[in-house]
Parts: sequence; C-alpha cells; structure tokens
Amino acid sequence: MAQMKNNIKVLRAEKGITQEELAEKVDVTRQTIIAIEKNKYIPSLELAYKISLFFNKKIEEIFKYF
Amino acid sequence: MYTILYIGNIRIIHVNMSYKNFKIARILIAFFLAMTVSIAVSMENVLLAVSAVGIGMITMLLIKKNVKAVMVDEMVKSIAGKSALMAYSIVVPVLAIFSLVFMFSSLSNRDSYFYNLGMIFSYIVLFNMAVYSISYYYYRKKYGSDEE
Repeated sequence: MAQMKNNIKVLRAEKGITQEELAEKVDVTRQTIIAIEKNKYIPSLELAYKISLFFNKKIEEIFKYF
Repeated sequence: MYTILYIGNIRIIHVNMSYKNFKIARILIAFFLAMTVSIAVSMENVLLAVSAVGIGMITMLLIKKNVKAVMVDEMVKSIAGKSALMAYSIVVPVLAIFSLVFMFSSLSNRDSYFYNLGMIFSYIVLFNMAVYSISYYYYRKKYGSDEE
C-alpha cells in the first residue's frame, strides 16, 4: 500500500524549533504537527505548502510518496 | 498578557488567553452551568435554566474570541467530519430499527406509549436523513459538479 512519509522532524531539529513554534508559524495545533511527523495524518496541499515555505524547500523534498 | 482598548472614554481590557487558560475557563463555565441548571431543575424554574444556558453560551463565545492560540485546524475538522459520519451511520439505523420494532409490536393498540415512541423515533430518523441529504447536496454542488 502506498504511503506518505516526511522529514519534518529532521528539518525542525536542524532549524532548532519546537513543534509548538512550527504549529504557530503554519496556523495549526501542536497535535497536528505531531500527527504529521508520525505519518498518521496527511496534510492538505495548503498546509504542505505552508510547511515547505517555512522551511524554504520544495514540497517533494519534505514529503515523499511511496 | 492583556491589552487595553479605549473606545471613547470606555476602557476595555482585552485578555489574550492561552489555550491552557481557555481549557480552565471552559471547565469553570461547565461547572457553573451544571450547578445552576441542577438548582433550576430542583426549583422547577425554567427561566433560571434558560438564563444560565444563555449566559454560559455568551461567556463561551466571548472567551473563544480572546483565545490567541489556534484551536480548530484542518485535522480537527477532518476528525469532526469522520466522527459525525460515524455517529450518523450508527444513530440513524439503530433508531430506525427501534422505531420499527416499537411500532410493529404495538400495531393493535395505536394509542400505546410504544407506538408513539416508535413514531417519534421514525420522525427523528427522517429529519436526520433530510438534513444529511440537504447538506450532502449542498457540499456536492459546492465542491464537485460535473461541469468542467
């Protein structure tokens, strides 16, 4: 079965920010960031764009579809 | 954290509430409502109960406006949507079965309590289905038409 994976946790660690700070920057709750990092929730295209803009990377560099 | 707003000579203190404080306030309001409504029921005072619920709702709205943190996002909405669909899928068939059982078991006596209960259940089921169909039609029109 195909699934999505992401490296938000790594990027967040590189940038030295907490889940709460990232959540605040992209206008979601901390629970949503936790769920995305654990690959339990696939974000909408809008949220994926917000996250990629925040990390200054392309969407496909953050989210991988297997 | 709070900011002070001035409208003419009127000073309004605007509290920037955190999500943690909001949760505490929500518990306090629920406690106030439970206390007041139970007192109103024991006193058989409808006005007191209605006023308490009204005050609770208004206070909740005012507090929600002052919360700085994001409380509802796309994941919360997605979960709420799935829960609503599951609740609908369970409640409607269960109520429909109960209404049929109640109505058919008391067909000989149509003035009985069970027959009337069955009727009420069937109307609730019909109302639920109507609301679901209307909202489904509305969202299908909004998001997914056949037109290119």
